[in-house]
Amino acid sequence: MNYFAGIDVGSTAIKVAVVNEAGDIAGVHVTASGSLFHKNSLEALNTLLDKLGLKREDVRYLIATGYGRKLFKEADDSISEITANAIGAFEAGKAFGGVRTIINIGGQDSKAIQIDDTGNVVNFAMNDKCAAGTGRFLDVAARNLDLDLEELGEYHFKSEVAPLNINSTCTVFAESEIIGLLANGHGKAEIIAGIHYSIASRTVRLAKRVGIEDRVYFDGGPALNKGLVAALQDELGRELVIPEHPQTTTAFGAAVLARNEFVAEQSSEKV
Amino acid sequence: MTNETSKVIPIQSIPYSRSRQAGESQDVLDHIIDDFHDNPESMQYFYDLFRSVYCHGEEVKHEGMLVGTTCIQAPEELIYAFGATPMRLCNGSYHYDQKGAEFMPSKSCSLVKATLGMLNSDNVIPKIGKPDMIVNPTTCDQKKKSSSMMGDMGYKVYDLEFPNVKESEASRQYWQRSVRQFATELRQLTGRKLTKKGLQAAFNKTGRAQAAFRKLHSYRLLSPSIILGKDIFLVTNAYFFDDITRWTEKVEALNVELEARKQAGFKAVQSKAPRVLFTGSPPIFPNLKLPLLIEEAGGVVVADESCSANRMLYDMTAVDEWMVNDMVDSLADKYLKPCTCPIFTKNEDRKRRLLDLVKSFNADGVVYQAFSGCQVYEMEYRSVAEAFNQAGIPMLYVETDYSPDDKGQLSTRIEAFLESMKNRKKQKQRAAG
Repeated sequence: MNYFAGIDVGSTAIKVAVVNEAGDIAGVHVTASGSLFHKNSLEALNTLLDKLGLKREDVRYLIATGYGRKLFKEADDSISEITANAIGAFEAGKAFGGVRTIINIGGQDSKAIQIDDTGNVVNFAMNDKCAAGTGRFLDVAARNLDLDLEELGEYHFKSEVAPLNINSTCTVFAESEIIGLLANGHGKAEIIAGIHYSIASRTVRLAKRVGIEDRVYFDGGPALNKGLVAALQDELGRELVIPEHPQTTTAFGAAVLARNEFVAEQSSEKV
Repeated sequence: MTNETSKVIPIQSIPYSRSRQAGESQDVLDHIIDDFHDNPESMQYFYDLFRSVYCHGEEVKHEGMLVGTTCIQAPEELIYAFGATPMRLCNGSYHYDQKGAEFMPSKSCSLVKATLGMLNSDNVIPKIGKPDMIVNPTTCDQKKKSSSMMGDMGYKVYDLEFPNVKESEASRQYWQRSVRQFATELRQLTGRKLTKKGLQAAFNKTGRAQAAFRKLHSYRLLSPSIILGKDIFLVTNAYFFDDITRWTEKVEALNVELEARKQAGFKAVQSKAPRVLFTGSPPIFPNLKLPLLIEEAGGVVVADESCSANRMLYDMTAVDEWMVNDMVDSLADKYLKPCTCPIFTKNEDRKRRLLDLVKSFNADGVVYQAFSGCQVYEMEYRSVAEAFNQAGIPMLYVETDYSPDDKGQLSTRIEAFLESMKNRKKQKQRAAG
């Protein structure tokens, strides 16, 4: 049985996905990037293979994507995370009648991608100039509120008043704003809701640049945050398709591409 | 109270070739040469030229008086006709961009900032010496406002009045009058008269250079490409300051080599390499950031609509009557009529030109560069995007400046764009096949 892998070497986390010959997910794994990209990527890949009881030779094609895609020499090829994300979302979206707009919020950037009915990228927009509206903002907020990242979602729904307006566009300056709000007696819940809405409205502005079409797929680590998802749905005015493992859609897309490339190479060799 | 005394640390002078400014040019030039394969042998002249002028700070000589220009709308034929030498001052150095920042708002055109930074510097690179006059066409706002700043720096600046409307006869006459006035100014500067012979010789000199460029431009039609865009930009950038006769000879030699490549079926890129049309704010050495990112990622810039290359050398002067006044008016027409700069009220000519270039050069997509703060290019993006959208041609819009810190993010976007173009092409071929 042949397997294919995709590895998304991000600035914050390394994500690996393995698919089988049919293109179905065999397994995924997420770990922190750290500073030694190559070493940590290799470890992440081996950890997943061990978990699945596979050997390196079982993986017939490996594609790397993400920030560190060119550094991971173990891969057979590399592809931009925009294309990989589009493929992953397109495949996952088939079960929901097809996806046309993809919103990804990552550790340090956010993107909106428009695809056509064959999964090809038609247009995209990225916020890659600053960390506002990215996972980093959630990190900073959690730290300032003395909470774990995973707790932010549930706090969102505890708010008994309207979400506060967070005015700072800069993640770093927002720290001061949060501290000021706490000092003025505001509760954590409404601050967190405010932060989620701040990220959501900024994200919707980005998505409008490429045009929003149903269905809208939301992925990236922050999509695990149910509070952020609620805020984004509210700002968009549409339902969102959220994958089971939102962090690994891009890695999954790379794995699907690895499978497709392998199959294409095999059939051209036959001719 | 301590026994320490302060002292003044003297400024250490470093030779130019070891300065960070030279390093910027060094890095780009090394990248252009070393990181690509099969550079044409005839390009060695241009590589050596940029090495000596931008990396070693060698002097650039000229004949007669030196007239600096800040825009391609300054009629260089007229300058040659008066026995002077024109040199384009538009600068591409990040070092000078930072120096020029004190003169301009924080979000403004890097090109104008860099030019001001260069002119204000004690050590102007390229080492052309102080221009006897700078002719500054009133094309874009930022160029226009830089005029008085250049004057304050001690340069003799001539404002060449340029119209904002293309289509009106009034604008045409206004511009013809403006060019004639410029001729008068040149007569005062040089102390020479404008003769039919002098003007004809100037037309011949520039005409020959334009013909050499157009031949070079025609070799880019070939698919797969036989020469990369990075080399073409270097060749046209050299035109800014190199001796025109020598430049023409070297381009003609390059054309001979390209003809040989064509006959031999030489390929500079893989057959699937995406063919890109580059448009917008001009890439000027050492700021060849975007074209280089495109070609590093496996694309090839097959044509451009920018004033540091195609727009500078493509159009010929059509002379009706070979008498001085008519020749000057024909010259003015050549500068106004085909101009596709975004400074005009309407941009139908630009859209038409872009669509035509995509078609003739068989481009798979377009990269549109706008310098941050360049309002005219930023504003025209919308109508150009619509025109391309209707024609089904993919386009990537990149707003950037001279700073090198966004290379990582831009390379991701460019790669994604090239991947999408490749996919589209595959789908089209499968549908047709």
